[in-house]
Amino acid sequence: MKSALKESGMTALIAFLLFGPLSGLVLSGYGIEVHGFRPLLMAGLVFVGHLCFTLFARSSLGREWSASVFGRRDGGVTVARGERGHRLLIAGVMLLAFSLPLFLSKYWISVAILALIYVLLALGLNIVVGLAGMLDLGFVAFYAVGAYGYALGFEYLGLGFWAAIPFGALLAALFGAVLGFPVLRMHGDYLAIVTLGFGEIIRLVLNNWGSFTGGPNGVRVPAATFFGLEFSRRAKQGGEPFHQFFNITYSSAHKTIFLYGVLLVVVLLITFFVVRLRRMPLGRAWEALREDEIACRSLGINHVTTKLSAFSMGAMVGGVGGVFFAASQGFVNPSSFTFFESALILAVVVLGGMGSTVGVIVAAIVLTVLPEILRDLASYRVLAFGLAMVLMMIWRPRGLIRPQRPFFPIKGSS
Amino acid sequence: MVHFFRSSVQKALFSVAIVALLALSGVSPLLAGEVVKIGVAGPFSGAVAAFGDQFWRGAEQAAMDLNAKGGIDGKKVVLVRGDDACEPKQALQVANRLVDFEEVNAIMGHFCSATTITASEIYADAGLLMMTPASTNPMVTERGLPTIFRNTGRDDQQGVVAANFVVEKLGAKQIAVIHDKSTYGQGIADAFKAHLHTLGLTEILYDGLTRGEKDFNALVTKIKGHRADAVYFGGIHSEAGPLARQLKEQGVSAPLISGDGIVSDEFVMSAGGPSYAQGVYMTFGADPRKIPAGKEVIARYRAKGIEPEGYTLYSYATIQAIAAAMEGAGTTTDGEKMAEWLHTHPVQTIMGAKTWDAKGDLSVSDYVIYQWDDQGSYQEVE
Amino acid sequence: MDLIIFVQQLINGLVLGSIYGLIAVGYTMVYGIIGMINFAHGEIYMISAYLTAVFLALLATLGIQSVPLVLLLVLLLTTLFTALYGWSIERVAYRPLRSSTRLAPLISAIGMTLVLQNYVRLGQGAKSQGVPPLIEGHFRLFLTGSDQFVQITYIQCLIIVAALLGMSLLTYLMQKTTLGRSCRATQQDRIMAGLLGVNTDRIISTVFVLGSAMAAIAGVLVSLNYGSFDFHIGFVTGIKAFTAAVLGGIGSLPGAMLGGLILGLSESFFSGFVNTDYKDVFAFSILVLVLIFKPSGLLGVPEVEKV
Repeated sequence: MKSALKESGMTALIAFLLFGPLSGLVLSGYGIEVHGFRPLLMAGLVFVGHLCFTLFARSSLGREWSASVFGRRDGGVTVARGERGHRLLIAGVMLLAFSLPLFLSKYWISVAILALIYVLLALGLNIVVGLAGMLDLGFVAFYAVGAYGYALGFEYLGLGFWAAIPFGALLAALFGAVLGFPVLRMHGDYLAIVTLGFGEIIRLVLNNWGSFTGGPNGVRVPAATFFGLEFSRRAKQGGEPFHQFFNITYSSAHKTIFLYGVLLVVVLLITFFVVRLRRMPLGRAWEALREDEIACRSLGINHVTTKLSAFSMGAMVGGVGGVFFAASQGFVNPSSFTFFESALILAVVVLGGMGSTVGVIVAAIVLTVLPEILRDLASYRVLAFGLAMVLMMIWRPRGLIRPQRPFFPIKGSS
Repeated sequence: MVHFFRSSVQKALFSVAIVALLALSGVSPLLAGEVVKIGVAGPFSGAVAAFGDQFWRGAEQAAMDLNAKGGIDGKKVVLVRGDDACEPKQALQVANRLVDFEEVNAIMGHFCSATTITASEIYADAGLLMMTPASTNPMVTERGLPTIFRNTGRDDQQGVVAANFVVEKLGAKQIAVIHDKSTYGQGIADAFKAHLHTLGLTEILYDGLTRGEKDFNALVTKIKGHRADAVYFGGIHSEAGPLARQLKEQGVSAPLISGDGIVSDEFVMSAGGPSYAQGVYMTFGADPRKIPAGKEVIARYRAKGIEPEGYTLYSYATIQAIAAAMEGAGTTTDGEKMAEWLHTHPVQTIMGAKTWDAKGDLSVSDYVIYQWDDQGSYQEVE
Repeated sequence: MDLIIFVQQLINGLVLGSIYGLIAVGYTMVYGIIGMINFAHGEIYMISAYLTAVFLALLATLGIQSVPLVLLLVLLLTTLFTALYGWSIERVAYRPLRSSTRLAPLISAIGMTLVLQNYVRLGQGAKSQGVPPLIEGHFRLFLTGSDQFVQITYIQCLIIVAALLGMSLLTYLMQKTTLGRSCRATQQDRIMAGLLGVNTDRIISTVFVLGSAMAAIAGVLVSLNYGSFDFHIGFVTGIKAFTAAVLGGIGSLPGAMLGGLILGLSESFFSGFVNTDYKDVFAFSILVLVLIFKPSGLLGVPEVEKV
């Protein structure tokens, strides 16, 4: 008890020294105002919190708990035991996802759209980082290519929403292959910084090349259409709007619900695609390459095409995410594609448990819905979000869901 | 046992967290009823959060004063904060949240032009009145959205005033045009450049610096090498300050001219003191602090120890305009009726009488030129 | 006349490069010892800028007037407190993740970045803050027979000197002292170093403290040089400094300085003679090109692939 008090006292003292100058002495012009109470309060909170935690951790209950939370050092991957049991669960989740528009307001559906966009982005980055083991800090580049592919494709080529999805995907895949080429020689964090560089270069070019991309003014993006029927109150591109055609009263939620539905279908398709891909030779080659590149090369796996395919396939998925982002925003400009966005997508992948498809989906939803829920904390929102990120990492350093290897039964054995 | 313990504790913790979050999100400060909700949307976090604070201070005081007089048609005014962090992605979410979740009756906001443009589509679609006290990009009102207004000037008006001043009053021939590559900064710099061309001059340098950096010495040396006799900067104070300082430090005597993005005491702070800010020109609406109608309100701010600078009084006046439209049109929900009323009636605000044209822009542009003095405040240039 | 501009841009680049170099040291040392990109390092620099202003104001209230004394005290106090921040962040956000995947601390660092930025925003307000001009004045070299001159301000001199001095001191520390030997041992093999009696936890803490101290020196001098800062300055500068560290070869101390200088000079010359819009594109292109031909940076040790 005495040592716990002493320890907590030390921690509180350090906390006081830390908080003192920055929250207790507030700059005002070239002078300062003294708010002595704030650091004292925070140090006091730290003291009480630390003491409670130490006492709890020392009790027998707490020892078991901390051993279970911090003591888990079981690394590596586990093998899935087939997935028949999951089918019901998957069907249930799908049913729930499709029925969301029935009982959610437009605001929450638009949050859900953002969450699904992040699911797409994270699935794409997961191929590169989680499966192929290449740290990519510039993934936002492909997101931007997809979004601008739609916006500029409409402006210069007259592409509609449906044509833009494959166009954006292919364009992003092409960029992925081109940008992936020079980085093949690099490893680990050198690759990370080069991809960061590419991400910044693309954003800067989009910003500076005003005559083509509209520069910081951005480009307007037409809304998604239902086989040519518009969702606006009055048709802008000519023809009859959706609500008149079906003779229902106009609601601004139609467009959002429609986009949500299409996006959900696309997300399901891509999830299915990614899950199957992992079982294919290509997917297994990615994971093998992640574990040991030299062994793979000596076994005859072509590391160039394998890495390039991972890069461009990840980029393709990210590009689709970009198209939907542009469609939901109605307007794109380069300020949506900063480095911080890349970091956020990476956080989703790592928090989800690198390589785990389900984990990545869960993490994407958590990290997009959380800031919206935290809106009630007003100015403490971003602070709380940052703290949550740190705490989640400490709580689950290997991600929310442990990645599992696909299960391959060998014919003839049980 | 340990395994069971572990999983159950984690599940319990997790569910407690979820319940707590849900409870937090469900609690609203007031029960719905006889209130008028006005959304205040702006950057309350992120790099330009300082302007969000000005928005809030202006709107809060306006709502308090309205409520002290009995509210709008007897209904109390309640403000709802919407933080977009100056990101278009968040602006969309905030707009949807204000419209569908908070169910506001009208919106004051946003600050950054890019977020205003994104969010205004949602408001227009929902038929709600939106008025921005700060976004000057022409595209805000150029899209034919009936319920979108602004209570500030446009970049193309500001650029014209600045270009006329630089050419006619300062007699400059060699003009360098710098911007910060943002929607606002480049927009206003382009407007300035365009009017320069109609005056028969060509800029000697047109270049963009990066927001968030502080070292523009290379650019300043380049300006010096081009022997510019005036420098126009489109951007905000956080970059304008260091630019002004470094121009002075390197001994460039050409004056710096900028727009309403540097109208804040923070410009003096960013420049590193009044001695560096001194002499810089800027365009801004007739100073709201000097309009007699606002004296009383300004005194109230100063009594609280707040200097109503920058957009504070613009926000106050915007809330007044929204309230006037609600009372005048006899409705607190129908944005289109309020918009019609605003198009045809002048509103008495603390910034004087305001009228709006068919697009939703202010019909009278009152941009004038100010100059910073050695005391860290600005004076109108006659 | 063109020579004047050229020399001036050289000076601009050297000053900028020294700043990048000082901050890059923190990235490179932390990376060298635990293989982690410490994204929150840019925020450490931001915090040191705020501390500078707070301590300057505090000393002014106490009535201390002598400029050298004020400078010395502010440097000392800011460095101490910033180092304390570096130490605490490592304790709270990174140490619990020491034995997990390599990317976990990276995400924790991104979270820490948000926490620090918003903590400062809430504590000090979102406004731009500044420090009063403390040291003013410059050396000017006039070209004979004209009014053209090359100039360097006193603070700019101070920045270059501090960068050189700081780097030499650190290099000495790493090469010649017991502490340095323990650092290098931990860098090579943490487990083995631990077995041989090196307190690796303490060594890692020391590295964070040293890196933060260098960022603090940069923070003090930069604040005095540019006069202003806000809670968001850590981000752009952090990315640039990190780029510099990688360019020079991450993990190498002289590499960080070299990378900083190359980045500073290339930005300054490209901005001065070509175009400011594309200076960052140019800087990143240099980085990509260098890494394509020398995949472990200019002075980095090539990774040995073990079979």
